[in-house]
Parts: sequence; C-alpha cells; structure tokens
Amino acid sequence: MNRPISFILLYLLVTTTANAQQPDLRIETSEGLRILIHSQLSPLQINRIHSWHVKVIDADSKPVTNALVAVTGGMPEHDHGLPTQPRVTEEINPGTYLLEGVRFHMPGKWSMVISIETEENLSTVSLDFDL
Amino acid sequence: MKNILSLVVLIGCLFIASQLFVTSGVSTEWSSRQIDLLKSLSLSALPKLEIDPSNSVAEDRAAAEFGHTLFFDVRLSGDNTIACATCHQPKKMFTDGLPLAAGTKVGPRHTPSLVGLAYSPWFYWDGRKDSQWAQALAPLETSHEHNTNRLEIARLIDGDKYYSETYSILFGNLPEIPQSPKGASPAGNIELKNAWDSLNEKQQFLITEVFANVGKALAAYQRKIMPGRGRFDNYVDALDEDRDPAGESLTSEEVAGLALFIGKAQCVTCHNGPLLTNNEFHNTGVLPITGQLPSMGRYDGVRFARADPFNCLGKYSDANPKDCLELTFANDTNDLVGAQKTPTLRNIKETAPYMHGGQLKTLLEVVNHYNEAPVSLLSHNESKPLGLSAAELQRLEAFMNTLSAPLATEEKWLNPP
Repeated sequence: MNRPISFILLYLLVTTTANAQQPDLRIETSEGLRILIHSQLSPLQINRIHSWHVKVIDADSKPVTNALVAVTGGMPEHDHGLPTQPRVTEEINPGTYLLEGVRFHMPGKWSMVISIETEENLSTVSLDFDL
Repeated sequence: MKNILSLVVLIGCLFIASQLFVTSGVSTEWSSRQIDLLKSLSLSALPKLEIDPSNSVAEDRAAAEFGHTLFFDVRLSGDNTIACATCHQPKKMFTDGLPLAAGTKVGPRHTPSLVGLAYSPWFYWDGRKDSQWAQALAPLETSHEHNTNRLEIARLIDGDKYYSETYSILFGNLPEIPQSPKGASPAGNIELKNAWDSLNEKQQFLITEVFANVGKALAAYQRKIMPGRGRFDNYVDALDEDRDPAGESLTSEEVAGLALFIGKAQCVTCHNGPLLTNNEFHNTGVLPITGQLPSMGRYDGVRFARADPFNCLGKYSDANPKDCLELTFANDTNDLVGAQKTPTLRNIKETAPYMHGGQLKTLLEVVNHYNEAPVSLLSHNESKPLGLSAAELQRLEAFMNTLSAPLATEEKWLNPP
C-alpha cells in the first residue's frame, strides 16, 4: 500500500519576512501534496522553542485532513538531530496541523523530513534550508 | 651615509609593519552577513529574561534577598561548612577554580559558572534539571556537596526569625515541622530514607514544599547574575552603528581570533547568541574524567529530568503544563550519548579549568582539543579536525580573553548579605 518514500525536493522557499500570508517554508512532495509552513517565530531563528502551522493541500488545492503528520530533522554535517522532538498535537483547521516543540540550536544547514500519512498513501519529503 | 641609515630604518619599519599584518592576517572588513552574525553575539542583542512559569517568585525582590542570604549560608549543609557560595564564588565568576567541585567531599563534576545561566532551559552538565530552582535543590541533599536533607532545611527556615518571617510573606505560613527524626529525605542514604518513611504522606508533602520554595528563592537570587558588556560588545556595536570599529579597543590579533571564531574554527556553531552558548548538549570527544567511566551525558540527563519530582510538570511547580515546552518536547535519542552542555564563554578567562570534569587547564588546551577533534570513547565526536595553525589557536585565545568584563549585577548581590 505504501509507495516508495521519495526525497524529491521540488521547490523550497525560505522567506525572511514576517508576512503572515507568506509561508516561511514550502515544499511539494512527489505525490503532489503541497506543504506550507507558517512558523509562529518568524523569521526563523535559533535557540527559541516555538511551533509551526503545517498546512497540507492536495494537487486540487483541497486540504488534506485527518492525516498523520510527523517532522524530524537534523544537521547532516554535524551528524546530530534536533535538540527537541517536535510533534503534531492538533489539527487546528481542516488540513492545518499544529507542530509544537520546534527549536534549532545551531546556525547552518538543516534538513527536515516531513511525512504525511493518509489512509491512501504515505508521502515523505526532505526539506533543506540554511539558518 | 645618513640617507642610507634612514633608508635602513624605513625598510626595518616596513618589515616590522608587514610582519604585524601577517600576524593579524585579517582586515577589519566584515561582510554584511558576518556583521549580522556578530551583532547576534553582542550583549546588546540579549533579550529580556523571560519569566520562569514554574517559579512564581522568580521576579520577586524579597525572594531574591531571601535567596541571597540562603546562597551564602553555611547552615545549609550537614556540617555547617558548605554554602552554595563555597563552589560558586562571586570573585571567580561563580566558579571555584578547581577541576572538580569540592563540597563536603570532592565530587564527580566541574563547577559550572552561573553567569547568565537563568537564560538556559536546562541545568547540570547533562541537563538533568529543567529549572534553576529544581537545580538548586539537588546539591543540598547530595552527600559530597552540602550533605544535608529537606527536613533539616525546613527546620532551619522555621527556626530562623528572618527566614521564617520572609518565608511566610512569600509563600504563606510555614507548616508544623516535626522535631523528630533529626533528618529525613527520600533522596538520602538508607537512614534518611527510613526516617522519611516514618513521616506521614501529608508531612512529607509539606516538608518537600518548604524545600522546593527554598530552591525558588535561591533561583530568584541567581537570576540576578548577569554578564557585563566587555570590549567585544563595544567593538560589535561600533560595527552596528557604522562607526569605525578600529577605535573600539580590539587588537588586530583579537579581531583575527574573532574572524576564526565565526569562520574556520566554527566555534559559533555551538557558542552562539549573546551568551555565547546554545545551552544545548554536544559530544565533542572530551576524555573521560580520570577514574570515571565515560559519562552518558544528556542521554541519561533527559531521563533524569523527566523523572524529577521537581520538574516543570511536577506537583511543586507553579507552571501550567502547557508552559513546560522544553520538558515536553525534549529530545532523548542516541545521538545524545556522551553529550555535555555547552558552557557560556562570557568571562571564560576567569573560569578555568574547562570542560565537565575540568580536564583542560587552559583555553589554549581547549582550542587545541577542538583543533584535533579526537575520537570519542563513547558514541561519536560531532566536531571535525579544524587544521588550525599554532598562531591561529593563539588568536582564538586572544579573542576569548576579550569576553571578560565586570558582571552587570548590583554589587550587593556579589557579597554576603
């Protein structure tokens, strides 16, 4: 049932503005799911614990509801993970998930792995950015 | 002849000047990205200290004065010889100058500085405590530190006029403290544990509550211990204000060290922010402390923190559970094996020796350690060899010496009351 996990990075945008309409990070999975991340600490910065609103929409721009959303991450260059274990605690709006416990503790290249599991499939995508 | 002599002197001067330039090896031209990074390290970027939701008296001046008195009181020890200030000496930036802390006996860890520590979400080298008040309690009941117990501390508060009156104002009336047994604690030796078991559940709770409040007062005091602006901060702020930083008291050697610090030497990856620490945990291949097995570090520390009855989620905490984000979302994975906490570099010159066991005597030994990045005996060393020259290591040391300055703390807090 599960499709092979893909790590295709289609596009990535790291904004430096605090514009509430503009996501801080966005990415699309190879299955066509779009993930829009609004950090509640914007612009992103190190050493402050905060939460993300992770909005997931499908290729028809419909919200992907009741999904299991998981986020892990780390710094491949330093061979370690995040200092925290963020997890989704709530779907605050249809297709928008509250990810709590996000904190970065070093400047440099971060790689986050986001997985979206629905009844139909599992999509996993790697999101790389500099802090 | 005179012209030839002048020429020789001129050539000599030019040679010396060129050597000085080679020694410094850097211009003071920073890129805008570097300036942004430097600004993030200045004390001018230090945010206001956030409240500690687990400690309702953290900002109370009377609590800080109460904690100040407790901090210097040797009666908070089994043999009336040890106070918090015995190891955390204000004149040594709240350290003791020893490789391993010496309370009633020599302990297993180096005394960390308390400067700016209130900004940290974690305490102890392995982060086994998640608040400054919870941290303050553990040494009191540790046999090689203060070697006392919560019942005797509650009795001390009850029996001292200033303590009991101040306690009542801050926390409400003291409960009745049993006159026997002499001492009792669930965290002590078998005799203390048996004595603790002889008390009923309500007595145990009330005594522990007094004990926790003593920790909260000690934390209110320790929140006053803050670093002061030094030459480094003045230099960076001159960059920020677009003034000529050349006149702002860093030598070319120190500027060269700063360039290495934020560049080739990669110190800033962990020693970041205005306190020059990310307050996180890293395995950097430091040799185990002589006579000890390699420390599991943060891997164990986070588990201790979760099991701690004084943590943010515990019944002695004043926090709403939703405010306990760091504890709730703390990482506990295998990459934390052997990881120790990044210390502040503020006033680092005055807090030798270094590392969790005081294994390295000088800053030069420390930078040399990171330059070599030895294999870790436990798990893996996150850092990689740096390939720095001996001269570059000296520049790094020169830069770190610019981080010393008198504390930004009222003089009264730095002396016994």
